[in-house]
Amino acid sequence: MAGDLVKSNEISDSGQTTSVDRTSIVWLHRLTVLSVCLVWPLIWVGGLVTTYDAGMAVPDWPGTYGYNLFLYPVTTWLFGPFDLFIEHGHRLLGAVVGFVSIAIVIAAFRQERRRWVVGLSVAILLAVISQGALGGVRVLLSDRTIAMIHGCFGPVVFVMCCLAAAVTGPRWVGRVYREGAWPRTRALGWGVVLVGCAAVLFSYTQLALGAQIRHVQPWTTPRMFTALVATHITSAFVLWGLTLVLWLLVRRCGDMTLSRPSGWLIWFVGVQILLGTGTWIVNYGWPTVLAFLPVGEGFLVQSKGFIDSIIVTAHVAFGSLILATSAVVLLQVFRQRYLAKAIDSGVRQLDSSDKELSVGSSDRISSTQDPVVASN
Amino acid sequence: MNALRTILPVDFTVGVILVTGLMSIGGCDSTVKQFPSNRVHALVVETSRDVPTDAAMADVEQVVTAWFGTPEKPTWPSEWIELPAARQLVDLDRLQRASGRVYSDKQNRHFGLYTEHCVTCHGLAGGGDGPASLLQNPYPRDFRAGVFKWKSTDRSAKPTREDVSKLLVRGVPGTGMPSFLRVDSDDREALVDYVIYLAVRGEFERKLLDDAIDELGYEDTRPEDDASLTSLVGLSSRNDEAASVPVALTVAQDRLNQIVDAWVMAPEQVIPVPDETGFDALSVERGRDLFHAVEGGIVNCAGCHGPNGDATVATVDFDDWTKEFTTRLAISPEDKAAVKPFRSAGALRPRQIFPRKLSDGVYRGGGQGETLYRRVVAGIAGTPMPAAPVAESSSQDTKTLSPQQVWDIVHFVQTLGGVPVRGDALKSAVEDAESVEKGESR
Ligand code: HEC
Ligand code: HEC
Ligand code: HEM
Repeated sequence: MAGDLVKSNEISDSGQTTSVDRTSIVWLHRLTVLSVCLVWPLIWVGGLVTTYDAGMAVPDWPGTYGYNLFLYPVTTWLFGPFDLFIEHGHRLLGAVVGFVSIAIVIAAFRQERRRWVVGLSVAILLAVISQGALGGVRVLLSDRTIAMIHGCFGPVVFVMCCLAAAVTGPRWVGRVYREGAWPRTRALGWGVVLVGCAAVLFSYTQLALGAQIRHVQPWTTPRMFTALVATHITSAFVLWGLTLVLWLLVRRCGDMTLSRPSGWLIWFVGVQILLGTGTWIVNYGWPTVLAFLPVGEGFLVQSKGFIDSIIVTAHVAFGSLILATSAVVLLQVFRQRYLAKAIDSGVRQLDSSDKELSVGSSDRISSTQDPVVASN
Repeated sequence: MNALRTILPVDFTVGVILVTGLMSIGGCDSTVKQFPSNRVHALVVETSRDVPTDAAMADVEQVVTAWFGTPEKPTWPSEWIELPAARQLVDLDRLQRASGRVYSDKQNRHFGLYTEHCVTCHGLAGGGDGPASLLQNPYPRDFRAGVFKWKSTDRSAKPTREDVSKLLVRGVPGTGMPSFLRVDSDDREALVDYVIYLAVRGEFERKLLDDAIDELGYEDTRPEDDASLTSLVGLSSRNDEAASVPVALTVAQDRLNQIVDAWVMAPEQVIPVPDETGFDALSVERGRDLFHAVEGGIVNCAGCHGPNGDATVATVDFDDWTKEFTTRLAISPEDKAAVKPFRSAGALRPRQIFPRKLSDGVYRGGGQGETLYRRVVAGIAGTPMPAAPVAESSSQDTKTLSPQQVWDIVHFVQTLGGVPVRGDALKSAVEDAESVEKGESR
């Protein structure tokens, strides 16, 4: 694929063409991908900790029952009580993510030229550190408010990691804007940006509403709660519709980094709606609207059931996944539009100087330079 | 410009999530100063007696708070309770554990158990009007009426401790009420105490309001010193021994004792279940006739549950919690305008109750023979399902069922739910013969 070219021509606003060795940030990219692959499970485990109220299964911090975090006997951990298993596992995984984010910063400083990406890597490290510290404080103070902030910050870290992985990837750096690559390639207009923004917006709203439902206050009136749930469900379907529209719009943009995740997004939201329904059922019983399904007859809600907690946790984790995916899609939409513009101006410039090149390289022109640097 | 377009959404993400986080800070941890008062009941009294209840309600609240404390600091009015057993009906330490803020200590002992497990459905004061209540069918129980469905005792009696405790283990299948099997049994016991506490507190609040209007003469204003409930607040049983007892105190104390005594009495009101009679085809056949009121009918189960319990009969009925503010005040539950004031006061939307479809074999109160026996004898308190008239002895008459007949009905109901007939009379006769044969050949 053209985007995987190791060397590519780059156009900046000044019109200068430079050569950039893309291999230089390969490690940075690998590390960011690793962080994505670690943070999502971390969100799962964290969700389980909350669902099981196991947050206090290990009473001290940063140690575990006086042991150093990494020296805690493996057998006691694996075969001990489930509470302890997930809480200690959460801490271990968190620590690993911490190390990875340190490595990311180091890699970024050594390899990355784009200052804003370096900034992002530092931001990730700070976020991970504060997340860990919040978790520790929560344990030491045994405070649920802090636990909640800790929980709300998780998706933010995840989104940041995903964005970092996206902007360091080969398809970002070596991305080529190919006009007319497909018979009916369409340029991305403002409509796409709007729909993309709306998708991100609705994903948050869902997280926010979901958190309100999950951490409902005792004095919330039944009407308010009903309204919250109704909104949560309605906007789930609105979001589903949006992801479909978004996919239809970007489908033929000629760029897989954009059309693929937006296709996944439809599936993610579909699954999320199922998981949400499951979450309702395992928390509040079989709803009357689903009474026509014979399986629900005599359904018994189990407090702290295992499968049940997995469903609820999956719902929470998919919420983060959807938010991150839609954020990445939106980012790619902007990127695509930026490239299209760069090409436009680039072609015009090149047009005047060298006709030949403009034709030959119109699908080769790409940029490793980010918009910030470019517009500076 | 392009940079802004990329970064703005990211910042927005962070922002919104942080704001959400901050918004919820008030959340689980913040404390609730007061139990919400039973405004629906106040409105019911106001409507039925045609007397304003504001003054009475305000004073009742004071007394209830003085005697029962707050969600953060529940108390038990032992000093006003006469029976020693009733003084120990609940344990103050357990109440403390069950109530208030949710947190856990270094031993991973959970506190604020009711807030953690129950409040979303049952509400702070156990009014069955928690945030998630409106979305459920049936609605979560309002403990404050002091009426419970799934118990082993007489229809009008309170459940026993074991009833509540078993209920928490079992859950109520087919409703939102979960099984708390996986919660520590210690924690469950604390919750049982707290349910009893809320039920007593709620019933006291309701009945004291009735008394304030009916006996103490509350109207627009509070009555004379002696009858004013405010005279109770801050009163202690010890230092006022010598002084004359205010009327209000006598009334309130009588009320309180009547309620707690009923809870203490519960174990004596457990419905005795005579030995199970043969679960055979004949018994099921007799049960079928009784169920369908074939011979004139002492009971008519099919009248509500439909032939063979298939729930095909159209019924329009409501439970007692709904009837309190509707039919008992001559208000039609369907009359939205008339119901509105009660809804504003916190009542849930009136919702019909339907006789169970017995062919599903789903029993909310438990499906064992013994439990079903009691269900037939006592009916289901708070619902239209009536008690069956049962004779003490097995004397045969046309007005009452004999225990054997009750068992027959139970057997029939069980077969509806798919339980196989256990000792088929014919089969067992054959088996008997066979075993005799074997014995002979040996
Ligand atoms: C998801 C909602 C929900 C939660 C959480 C819940 N309940 Fe319930 N509860 C219900 C519903 C609904 C009923 C009514 C069942 C019926 O009418 O058959 C009920 C009924 C009850 C009853 C009355 C049973 C009877 O005999 O009438 C008790 C007691 C009770 N719940 C206690 C608790 C306790 C204690 C907790 C917390 C540990 C709790 N519930 C948590 C929904 C809930
Ligand atoms: C006036 C109507 C009425 C009559 C008569 C009646 N029932 Fe019911 N029955 C109900 C209603 C309503 C419920 C549902 C109660 C609830 O869900 O709270 C019910 C529930 C039941 C249940 C389910 C209990 C559980 O644990 O879920 C059984 C069993 C039952 N009835 C058996 C009988 C039998 C046997 C008779 C005859 C002796 C009978 N009923 C007569 C109205 C009636
Ligand atoms: C796009 C779709 C959806 C998204 C992104 C989403 C997201 C979320 C998130 C993130 C949470 C947990 C918040 C937290 O713990 O902080 C949540 C909670 C919840 N969601 Fe959804 N949701 C979606 C659709 C649905 C649907 C269709 C239902 C159907 C009923 C539903 C029901 C629930 C319920 C009941 C909770 C509360 C969980 C609890 O109490 O533990 N959700 N949602």
